[in-house]
Amino acid sequence: MATESKNTDLPELSIVQQWFHSVVTHPEGIEQGVNSSKALDLIPMSRNDLEHMVTRSEKVSAHDRMNIYANAYYARLIECLGESYPVMKRTLGEEAFNGFCFAYLQEYPSTSYTLGHLGDNFERFLTDTRPDADDPQLGWPDLLIDLARLEWTILQVFDGPGIEKTTTLQLTDLQAIKPDQWLSVKLQLVPCLELLALHYPLNEYYTDARQQSDDTKIDIPEAKQTFLAITRRDYIVRRHEISSVQYILLSALKSGHTLGDALERAAARSSLNDEALANELQHWFREWVEFSFF
Amino acid sequence: MTAPRLGHSNLGLGVGLRTVHFEHILNHWPEVDWFEIISENFMDSQGRPRYILDQIAERYPIVMHGVSMSIGSTDPLNMDYLHGLKNLAKDVKAHWVSDHICWTGVAAKNTHDLLPIPYTEETLKHVSDRVNTVQDVLERPLVLENPSTYVEFQGSNMSEQEFITRLAQDTGCGLLLDVNNVYVSSFNHDKEPIDFIKEIPHEHIVQFHLAGHTNYTTHLIDTHDGHVIDPVWELYRLAHELTGGVSTLLEWDANIPPFPELHQEVLKAKQFMGEHLPKFEIHIDQKTEASGKESLSTPLHFVPVDVE
Repeated sequence: MATESKNTDLPELSIVQQWFHSVVTHPEGIEQGVNSSKALDLIPMSRNDLEHMVTRSEKVSAHDRMNIYANAYYARLIECLGESYPVMKRTLGEEAFNGFCFAYLQEYPSTSYTLGHLGDNFERFLTDTRPDADDPQLGWPDLLIDLARLEWTILQVFDGPGIEKTTTLQLTDLQAIKPDQWLSVKLQLVPCLELLALHYPLNEYYTDARQQSDDTKIDIPEAKQTFLAITRRDYIVRRHEISSVQYILLSALKSGHTLGDALERAAARSSLNDEALANELQHWFREWVEFSFF
Repeated sequence: MTAPRLGHSNLGLGVGLRTVHFEHILNHWPEVDWFEIISENFMDSQGRPRYILDQIAERYPIVMHGVSMSIGSTDPLNMDYLHGLKNLAKDVKAHWVSDHICWTGVAAKNTHDLLPIPYTEETLKHVSDRVNTVQDVLERPLVLENPSTYVEFQGSNMSEQEFITRLAQDTGCGLLLDVNNVYVSSFNHDKEPIDFIKEIPHEHIVQFHLAGHTNYTTHLIDTHDGHVIDPVWELYRLAHELTGGVSTLLEWDANIPPFPELHQEVLKAKQFMGEHLPKFEIHIDQKTEASGKESLSTPLHFVPVDVE
């Protein structure tokens, strides 16, 4: 029950705002927010004094009115994370997924004007908080971290820089490179091309989870190292499964190495002899040009 | 003397551009007067959202409506954000740029909510100074909206409408009168919405917002998830009469209907523009059925990815 006396002198605006923020974002609710050390340092009060700060209405107490903001804070941002990570949400189930998000938002609250950065640290958060960090066996944490990386990469590629208004390398451009220049040439990958090395074969799983109805059971794949090239053409995100050797080759090119250096790294990991690898390379580059990788 | 609508034209009846309607708009080019976009969904986009917006902006007048300026915050204004707004406004030939009289975060943290400010001399000076800075950067008057609020501060020493009036007069900014927000806030604070509509400076009003809300019996939440209720239409009739008519926009952000239904909803506004139509009394509607689950205020928009 609030006391009758009213102190209408407000602290300065920055104090009011920091106090309000700490109260409505407190994970345990308004009462704990008001009683938190952070809020008490800013504006000392008890829950009963809340109506000295914010008004009640005829029907709703100050506590319950503040609670409207508190309820909306986590719900709004968790909903947004659910739209960023639909496959992880489906995989975990809503309750477990929301639990991860709730913990994440306490560790990494939004610091950007855009929700486009809300998940910037989600993969890092899952990695840092995994329960089995010392266990060499692959398991659920690896699957979730892979999913976080895959879904965040897809989002970045979808709305990041693209090639729709630029000219990409054509086969004739490649053919015009003189044989003695091949090893020293640097091929620039398009800015929307991202390369992923995953512990789980998630490409098909991602497709199924996006396309199948919610009540369809989708089996979680067994762990198997998988490599993906993710890019965008005509404003649609495209996923290409690639081999480990292709991943090494493309990663080296993406890092700015010459084609010679990149090929050397790839050859070191390839089980093919030089002639067979050379034949494969022709096929690969023809396909990558077709996919506008350069 | 201030020109009506700060000299802006009356764009007619528009709707908020939402991603679920992209395909319909691109396939049908519906005869809607104008679109309002959520600035933050497009200002950094280098992908499909921006590609689609560019096509729509070639055919329709565009107004930019932001949710992250945080004009009432005590954090410094984000100059990168303001320049991003300015660039987008130039690119899409935005008729005006609007945001809310609120703060969204402090100490570099963003709640992505529209939080209430105390109505005091200190806050008025603070917000006025920032509006002037923003207007200098944007090189155009800012248009500011009255948000729905769920608490007021004991320390406020003026009404919301007095605060808004003085802010508009001090800075020359425009006003986006959200008629539904007037109704929601008035209900929540036991006030008369009609007083608010009558007392704000009508010549500064550049735009109206209309939307649905959710009635929880004891309070209303601005959920933008349904039809505009009759008492809000009646407030709109009054606002239209007092301003002489300004650009009107319907927001619908959750349970979004197909585009034709959305468009029909805003076209209802025509029924409330006639001066000689029969009027009925404006009242706070207590009859709306309360929803069991608490819905989100001012739902956010997230652009879903197109992935093959």
